Amino acid sequence: MLSECFIASTAASGKTPASASLRDVGICLHEFQPTLNLRSTFKKSSTAANCLAVSPSHVFAAQSEKAIVHVYSREKGNQEATVPFPERIRSIAVAGGKNGDVLVLGTEGGRLILWETCTGRQIATTASHLRPVTSLVVDPTSNFILSGSSDASIHVWSLVDLLSFTKPPSGRDRQPPNSPIRTFSNHRAAITSIAVGHSAGRYNIAVSIAEDSTAIAWDYRTGRLLRTFLLSANATCLTLDPVDRAFYVGYGDGSIQSVDFYKSQSIQHPLHDPSLHSTPVQPSADDRWAPPSPDSGAAHTLTLSYDGMTLLSGHQNGKVLSWNVGRKKYASTVADYTHPVTNLLMLPPNGLSHPSFDLTRMSHTIVKPRYDHTLSESSQPLGTVPADYTFSTHLLPTVSRPSSRPNQFTEAFTHAYFPESMLEEGLAELAAFDQGNTNTNVPSHAMSTGISDEEAFAKDAQIAQLENDLSLLKKKASINATARQTTTDEVTKLRADIANLHDYITELHGKQEQAQHEKILRQARKEERETRRREAWFAAEKKGKKGDAVLKKLDAEDTVMTSDTDDQSSDEQ
Amino acid sequence: MAYMAMSLHAVNHRLTNIPVKQLPPLASSLAASLSNCGELLSTPQSQKSKSDSDNAVQVHKLMTRLASLLQDRSVEGRWTAVVLVKTLVEAGQWEVLRGSEPFVRGLIGILAKSDPVSTKKMSIITLTRIFHLTYQYPTLVREITTPSLPGFITSALNLISIKPSSEPVRKLKPNTPFLDIVLNAFGELIARHPTIFRPFTAQIHSVLQSIIGSTEPTYPEPILEIAQQLFISLHNCAPKNTSGEEWKNACRMTITSIHATSSYILRAVVEQWESVDPSLRQLSQPQNYSQEVGNGPDALGLSSWQGLPAGVNRLVVLLRMLSGFLDTATASTVTVPLGSILDLTARLNMVTYPSDGEIQANPQIGRAEREHLLTELPRIHAACLRLLVGIVKTFETAIIPVAQTILEQALWVFRAEKFSREVRTAVYDLVRTLLSHMGPCMTKQGVTSLTGVLRACCHDLLPPPSNQTAAAEKSDPKSKSKSSQATVNADSFLNPGLKPSRQLSSSPSFVELKRAASELLVAVLSHAPTELITPALRAEIDRTIIMTSDKNAMLASVLNPFATMQGRGVGISIMPFLARSHPAEMEVDALIRPRMPVLMNAPGVNGYTVADDEDEEETETVLEPQNSTETSGFLKPSVTPNLHQDMMDVEMTPQSSSPTMNKRSFAQETEVPTPALSTATGGAQSKKVRVEAEEPKAPAQPSLGAASPATFTGTAAISVPSSSITATAAPKPVVSMTGPSASMSTTTPQPRAVAEAAGDDESDDEMPTLNIDPDTDDEDEDE
Repeated sequence: MLSECFIASTAASGKTPASASLRDVGICLHEFQPTLNLRSTFKKSSTAANCLAVSPSHVFAAQSEKAIVHVYSREKGNQEATVPFPERIRSIAVAGGKNGDVLVLGTEGGRLILWETCTGRQIATTASHLRPVTSLVVDPTSNFILSGSSDASIHVWSLVDLLSFTKPPSGRDRQPPNSPIRTFSNHRAAITSIAVGHSAGRYNIAVSIAEDSTAIAWDYRTGRLLRTFLLSANATCLTLDPVDRAFYVGYGDGSIQSVDFYKSQSIQHPLHDPSLHSTPVQPSADDRWAPPSPDSGAAHTLTLSYDGMTLLSGHQNGKVLSWNVGRKKYASTVADYTHPVTNLLMLPPNGLSHPSFDLTRMSHTIVKPRYDHTLSESSQPLGTVPADYTFSTHLLPTVSRPSSRPNQFTEAFTHAYFPESMLEEGLAELAAFDQGNTNTNVPSHAMSTGISDEEAFAKDAQIAQLENDLSLLKKKASINATARQTTTDEVTKLRADIANLHDYITELHGKQEQAQHEKILRQARKEERETRRREAWFAAEKKGKKGDAVLKKLDAEDTVMTSDTDDQSSDEQ
Repeated sequence: MAYMAMSLHAVNHRLTNIPVKQLPPLASSLAASLSNCGELLSTPQSQKSKSDSDNAVQVHKLMTRLASLLQDRSVEGRWTAVVLVKTLVEAGQWEVLRGSEPFVRGLIGILAKSDPVSTKKMSIITLTRIFHLTYQYPTLVREITTPSLPGFITSALNLISIKPSSEPVRKLKPNTPFLDIVLNAFGELIARHPTIFRPFTAQIHSVLQSIIGSTEPTYPEPILEIAQQLFISLHNCAPKNTSGEEWKNACRMTITSIHATSSYILRAVVEQWESVDPSLRQLSQPQNYSQEVGNGPDALGLSSWQGLPAGVNRLVVLLRMLSGFLDTATASTVTVPLGSILDLTARLNMVTYPSDGEIQANPQIGRAEREHLLTELPRIHAACLRLLVGIVKTFETAIIPVAQTILEQALWVFRAEKFSREVRTAVYDLVRTLLSHMGPCMTKQGVTSLTGVLRACCHDLLPPPSNQTAAAEKSDPKSKSKSSQATVNADSFLNPGLKPSRQLSSSPSFVELKRAASELLVAVLSHAPTELITPALRAEIDRTIIMTSDKNAMLASVLNPFATMQGRGVGISIMPFLARSHPAEMEVDALIRPRMPVLMNAPGVNGYTVADDEDEEETETVLEPQNSTETSGFLKPSVTPNLHQDMMDVEMTPQSSSPTMNKRSFAQETEVPTPALSTATGGAQSKKVRVEAEEPKAPAQPSLGAASPATFTGTAAISVPSSSITATAAPKPVVSMTGPSASMSTTTPQPRAVAEAAGDDESDDEMPTLNIDPDTDDEDEDE
């Protein structure tokens, strides 16, 4: 079933939670949709902001004011390890795509530590930051790390360069190894938070906020500044819309502000319009959403739901508030953890079937870091992978594994009964079996008593050939049968036609006869009339009357009587 | 249901009344009608009503009849029964499975009888399916699978092999037709029932050893593949908690075995390689160079081989098996010895075909064997590269630490052996998968090192050189040597620096090579930093892309334009070619006519709160075809109502008089300052005028607000051309406005409204004579 959860972590405070289930709890896995409820909790943790990272298998929590990271197993629901580090950890992030195999840690001393959780390899960078690394993000391609520090600078690091055994030829611009590739220093005060866009392409953006009340959108691939936003106060936390259309910041008074990139009506992509790069923008105060009550305290962390329409914020008073992005206002209080909520991470929803969400492997346990001696020692030839570099993971069965080609078995296995081809093959074999039952018994017996492979092979070939012939003959026979059928059909049809024609002829004959008959009748009638007229004429002449007048009268009578006036009568008139 | 009951009855009737001998030809149709009765067969029998009890009788009758048919004396009867049992099991699921015990017994019985091959094959498949389906029901596993699976394994093993003695070793039968099916069936079941398979592992292992190790009659690739997979899966059967260890041992042994084999195969040359693993450095044993190359039984227990061809075959098989270790599911957490594997590939990839004839030859080996080895090298390397592809695919981003190492190995091989098509295909695939993980971070040097690969890739994709005419004159003396080729190679006009790759030739039939090459181009353009690709190379890539008209490559090129240097010309894009060659593709349209719903840009918060009837009608106005792609997502029922509600908000951007919306705002009576369409430019201008001519019509209809929905759809239809034009002229995000109260109900009226508009065309008098089809009819009206 589709469900969406978030993970929240808190910093320890003097207050004691009201409910017993929250006692001692530092990290909560909370179901957000469809129903709000607490799923599970991890105990004994106190994290500052930006100090919680989640991989599909584990939760990593850097403890505030300590140099240790607690590792919790999400499967077992318990604390799996406590990993000590040489320095205090001020921020952590998970790199390595959907598997999250690399943990990046930002230290108090301004360096990064990379820990490959599946191999135990650990790498430290130069201390390029002058002050503690307070925020860390990894870009969607898992190639770049962005680290923000309270020294007001943001470094961009190449994850590939840092991790690679073989350093790329001649290094980058004579820099010492394991140093950042780029530095963004447009901020004037300590960096509070960084968010990175969701594109894997080259035009991805980063947004950073600092204590100088600005938010800057910039291109971390080039270090180019895209836009400066002048905020109304110092923002404390930041999150980006899933489509990178806007970002949201939280303030110390608990309010939230949305900053929309697409405000202006520019024909270019607003962020990539060079004419606007140097113009700072002041987002209107209308976009600032007030908290329900003033006592909620500072917003420490923000996260967005999968659809990007619900914003969650974690506050100083332990409440998690949800905000409706469409309505631009506070919606409800989601949870109350008593302690200040310092980190909120929305997890990808369960139950969406999408191949890119499927994991092909899973690390049930982490490998604790050991110091990478290949970097310090020069015993190994430079750039080679040590033989004891091993990777522990559980390879999962996947449905989508490209099975080379559809084979007979898998096809039949998932079919509703058996594929047609297989049934046909079987039928042919049955037919052959039936025939051969009597005479092939002998060779099959001979085969079992031990004939050489070649012979068996030849036999097989012969059988296959015979089967082929058989099927060919069958096909021919069926073709013959159809042909015969069609011929018969044709003949029948022709016969029927002939009969019809005969009928027609008879009919025509009948009509002809009738016509003849009628003609004769008419002739007779005419003759009769002539005689009558003649007789009348004679009779009239005899009586001394005008014979013609009588004739005319008769004629009139005739036309009335006989509708058919034929030529002959008109001729006579 | 009635239909199902009837067809079930009909099937029963035919099964009982038609002579058994004549059943097989009917089996297919019987199975088809049975599989349509799934609902009826899977209904629990507890729900007793009158008709149901009748159905239950029929189902019972069918099952009894099939069980008896399985025991029938004629082969035809058994054959039919097997087909129908599979159908019944698939259709009936649990209801049938729980009574499938007699079926299982009958099917296993068939395996021992002298039935035709197809009956046995189908029995094996059916049995596997039954065991597979029962797996999710523990009770059924206890009742059916656990008691009968050992019997099945034994009879299946008997089909493919002979057990000569009491030892747990089996001898494979030659030429058995069941090998494929049996191995597949085991592969399907072994991970689910490891404990039942455990007593048989030794027997299965011995069978697999002889398949994988067989050199004389080599088995076809599918069988070899499934045998390797099963071999790897055997670790599932290890006693509890040792499966990871078992897997690791098998993997290590495979690596050792490959090392041992290559020591013999590569004896004709002096290897430069030195292992990073100290234990392997003193591996080389003294060899008897006077004998033909060969090796005795190795670490995996595979049989010995003699002669170089057999040795190379063995090596390739073992390499494939090693990559099988990385993509077969494991029982638990395993430790993958990445370092050792890369050490191994480094060793094999280091011995390459000598580019200038000099190679450190071992003087004790004759020239014939050395030359033979050199010709076989590409085959070995292709297998190696495929193993590396497998590693990258399995580990994905976790490969980053070793990605550079892998890339270097691939480039060694490529430089020396790019004449081999197999090697090229494998290198393209490998570079492509690597680029998607490490591309964005590549340095200038890294990209430059890929130049050779990319050039060859372009060359492979281009049509045969006979199509090129321009190159004919530019031929240099070197190409004279290849007088057999009538026309001159395309490379001479592409770039004179391409001489080494002259000898490559491709013909249109190499589908795999072309696929790999075009995918590589896409990967390079989309992952590697474009500014680091030299202009000459980029021009070549773009030309190739245009010639092949490959949509993905074209999109990649357009989306990652060549970065212009300061003051050096303008940005070049192959977008026109893309638009010409794929005008109807969705991606192309999305690229050149973007319509991103920009959501949160309405300034007025209050705009949202006005939720009355008028607004509701206006929502229909804007439900235009453009939005349909976005809205269609919301038409689907969502699993979580809450989520859905929120998603609706996406579309519910408050309406306002924001000038961005003015293209369509004429439909809103109040806010109609008919826009000065200042954004329209160029060629779009003429069209724009036409649309503008339309616009006064709509306001001239004063009753718009109250008119029928059909009117609105008509009006909305006009706005389509205008908005799409503005999108072309200025790729400005189109605002999607949907009324505030637009919940589920607003989306449904859309199709209806359109339908009405279509239907009411003549009858509705007060409707303006607007037609739905925006493009053609507009013109008609204007004239």
